Amino acid sequence: MPIRILSLPAKDLQYALECMDFGDLIVFSLCSKRTKNLVKSLNLQIDPILADVCKNYICLQLRPSKIRGVPHDPDPLFLFLTFSNFWIKIDRKNGIAVWKEDGFNQSDWIAHFLDIFKGSFIEKLRINNVCPISYLDIVKQIIPNVRKLQILEDCSVELTKRAFLKLAPISMMVEIGNISSDHKENISEFLTWNVTFLTLKNSRNPFKLGLNDLLVTNTKMLTINNANITEKELNRFLKLWMKRNQSFYQPKMIRLTFRNELNIEEVLKGMKQQIVKQGWQLKRADGKELSISIRRNFLIFFF
Amino acid sequence: MSSTEQGTSSAAPAEPTTAPESAAAPEVPESFYYVHGKDKVVHKVSAGALQHSALIHGMISNLGYTEEQAKANPFPFENIDGDILQMVVDWCNQHKGKPTPPEDTNLPKQKEKLFDLVLAVNYLEIKELLTYCCKQVAMMVKGKSPEEIREIWMIPTDAEDEAAEKEAKKRAGKEAAGETAAAAGDAK
Repeated sequence: MPIRILSLPAKDLQYALECMDFGDLIVFSLCSKRTKNLVKSLNLQIDPILADVCKNYICLQLRPSKIRGVPHDPDPLFLFLTFSNFWIKIDRKNGIAVWKEDGFNQSDWIAHFLDIFKGSFIEKLRINNVCPISYLDIVKQIIPNVRKLQILEDCSVELTKRAFLKLAPISMMVEIGNISSDHKENISEFLTWNVTFLTLKNSRNPFKLGLNDLLVTNTKMLTINNANITEKELNRFLKLWMKRNQSFYQPKMIRLTFRNELNIEEVLKGMKQQIVKQGWQLKRADGKELSISIRRNFLIFFF
Repeated sequence: MSSTEQGTSSAAPAEPTTAPESAAAPEVPESFYYVHGKDKVVHKVSAGALQHSALIHGMISNLGYTEEQAKANPFPFENIDGDILQMVVDWCNQHKGKPTPPEDTNLPKQKEKLFDLVLAVNYLEIKELLTYCCKQVAMMVKGKSPEEIREIWMIPTDAEDEAAEKEAKKRAGKEAAGETAAAAGDAK
């Protein structure tokens, strides 16, 4: 015989809900607007939501950040949103459960999860090499806001480029793993975009940079791990920056790491610099300053 | 059923093993109280067992009844079904003076009783039993789909909630209108 749970005294109802495991709570939140608000009122703390874009679905990973003393906490819960229909699949430990809600599409599911955990964005959206380019538009429609877009190293150059162009506008930070160094103009295509944070990261192949790449950069905070640029070109970049009086340069920080140790003298050759606590400082005639920090195999420019 | 055991509280300090038997403090006779539910069946419960209920404990702590007075004045709990009160009394007797285990396997398995038990236990303020009951309630929907949860826990759909809300508003409006008319009548 069923019981009328919503008639329980508020405190008992809350306690009963707090005894439920994370997956059951998510399912309970889907029963009605009232149950959704009840779950929301529990103020469950979760780790940032991760989303992986795979072959024909997005896998969301939700994990409670606190151990509540209920079974399976804090195991992550995996939810799968397929591109071809509006069904959702949830890994319930004892098997995959599949269901749909009337009038719910994929973006409604995401909105639902963000709402019950009082979030406004997906923490990390990861693009895998199996993600079809044709689905990128749907991904953009489904996911409203992303803090970090990560396009993995094993993605093709074409997928990397398309994913960046489509999804960077909804992302605060972008991390790219694969840019072909065959075409020199390739890297500039990414650097010219007005992105707040951009990280290029590839452990195997260095990113070939040229003077022009640094000059055209529009990213506010640029990090390139495993960069390949000569000291001579860095020196030329600094000299050009000094000469560009009254001109606007978008970046606030450029951080480059190298495989080999940098020759500091060569980078700063012919520059009239001031030694400061963190390294060196250059001052232009228009008053703009550039701080340079160089340690063995990395350098940082602060504009 | 009613308890007649003369139990001692486990909270009492343990006697040193070397102490002579004759040195042990004499046992204080336990006092008993009587409760009845909707069915008027009276249950005899020891004060030790009733300590689980903050409500009853609060009621008896200052009464100082004699056995006869307690027998003559059972605590009435008219809002609790007899069989539910029996379950509560049994649980209190089983856990008299014992630390409560993290899981309790002695709880009723019948779901229909569980809801009434939660309400009774909440009313009687038996914290540990309430905790077990709430866990049992949560377990009822383990691994279930939204449709199954809706059915098991009788959760109204959004449309039903909206209709009920409309109805409540309508009723409140009618009542307010009635009150205004009555007040106007009185003024005349």
